[in-house]
Amino acid sequence: MIDQRNFMYMFYGFAAAWVIVTVYVGLLALRERRLRDELDRVRRIVEDSGKRS
Amino acid sequence: MRNKLVYVLCLLAAGILCWQLYNILLNLPNEKDQGAIYRIVYFHVPAIFTGFMGFFVALGASGMYLATRNLKYDAFAAAVTEVSLTFATIVLATGMIWGRIIWGIWWTWDARLTTMLVCWLIYAGYLMLRRAIDEPTQRARLSAVVSIFGCTDILIVWKSIEWWRTQHPAPVLSVRDGGGMAPGMESPIYWNWLALMCLAAVLVMIRMRQENMAREIDSLRRMAHSY
Amino acid sequence: MGTTSVGSFFGSFLRDTLAIAAKDLRSEFRTKEALNASFAFSVVILVLFSFAFDPSSEQLQTISGGLLWLVFSFAGALILNRSFARELQNDCLDALISSPAPAGALFLGKAVANFVLLMIVELASLGVFGIFYDSRFGAQLGSIALVIALGTWGITVIGTMFSALTVNLRMREMMLPTLVYPLLIPALMAAMTLTTDLMNGTPFGKDNTIWLRVLTGFDFIYSILAVVFIDVVLIG
Repeated sequence: MIDQRNFMYMFYGFAAAWVIVTVYVGLLALRERRLRDELDRVRRIVEDSGKRS
Repeated sequence: MRNKLVYVLCLLAAGILCWQLYNILLNLPNEKDQGAIYRIVYFHVPAIFTGFMGFFVALGASGMYLATRNLKYDAFAAAVTEVSLTFATIVLATGMIWGRIIWGIWWTWDARLTTMLVCWLIYAGYLMLRRAIDEPTQRARLSAVVSIFGCTDILIVWKSIEWWRTQHPAPVLSVRDGGGMAPGMESPIYWNWLALMCLAAVLVMIRMRQENMAREIDSLRRMAHSY
Repeated sequence: MGTTSVGSFFGSFLRDTLAIAAKDLRSEFRTKEALNASFAFSVVILVLFSFAFDPSSEQLQTISGGLLWLVFSFAGALILNRSFARELQNDCLDALISSPAPAGALFLGKAVANFVLLMIVELASLGVFGIFYDSRFGAQLGSIALVIALGTWGITVIGTMFSALTVNLRMREMMLPTLVYPLLIPALMAAMTLTTDLMNGTPFGKDNTIWLRVLTGFDFIYSILAVVFIDVVLIG
């Protein structure tokens, strides 16, 4: 059976690693959404200007 | 095609990590002195390998950019550096928690921790520089030079602390010095390393796609202004 | 034919380097702005540190090297920041870049000028340190001077290079220290250890020649890297 000494601290350690990865993935997702919105917006502007000219 | 690769790598990483987690928690023998916490090494050490590799990969990409002036290499270097910064943060965080429990101190200036910290500072400086420059070619050019200088620096720091260490032995986290670990205990490190590499590759690919989107936005903006 | 052209290349390179170094030094000595600001800053830091540590204690012996190099690197940042920034007015930087002098000569000239200015400030600070902290280091003065020269060249090379790199950025004053100090860590580690040992009277010995090698290696490697990459940074 797994040793009970320092058991909680082991979880803190694992948790720290996974929290950092999750935070980074979250930041990536936020940035992706922001970039997509900006891309759609600029594409629409280019299309509109193209139609007008 | 690219998306399929991302999914496959994700599943592979998740699969290996779950298998190893089971292995780590239930199958492995217990370490004599440290109790359960030594199992942190199975994230700490793979993250070190992955984080350090990022430097050399970014160095290569920066060199390729300066040789070819193709912005794709610059996007790759930026993506790899950012992902490596995440892994470097994991190394420092897990190292500090482990150290606090085992040595009673949050930090010590031993070879590996110091090198990792310098590594982190240089990565962070590189990313800060990129945010400070708007023009893409200038950004690529200057960050390539910083990447080259930074990688050289890490090699110097690593070597000099190693030389110093052979005269002043310091507490060492190393498990590679042969005979450090019982037989069954070492393989999870390498499996987890493979899993983290897959994870890193996934993150780099996502990040690179974002760099390409940003570049497309830039060129579309310029087109929009030209009407 | 071959040797004379190589010789004349080096001759003109050296001439350009010295010309640019002389220009920078002359312009600085006229106003002495950076010198005064830098020296004043280092005196202030030394005074502030005297409140943190009891100057006459044993503690001082172990931290003297560290303290001195902190003072040198912070004061140096003031001088290094101005190095390329002062050329921005009136498009002087563009004029320098488009001159026949190679970018390597431009870089080395500025590095030499910065080195001289930094050495002046450091030697003056060393004197102030000796007075404020009652530190006797006359015995090892030659070795200390050598270590200071090597360490200063390391700071100068990296600082001048990144001064060129950040010259056109909008957050220049913030980016320069952020990029330069982590890179200087190995050189500062070596210089601090050597200086502390020398200040305490231990001459160069088996224990610290390692650090001397690190410092020399650092200077050599980065001098070459800087001259190689200055073209990319300044021109493109």
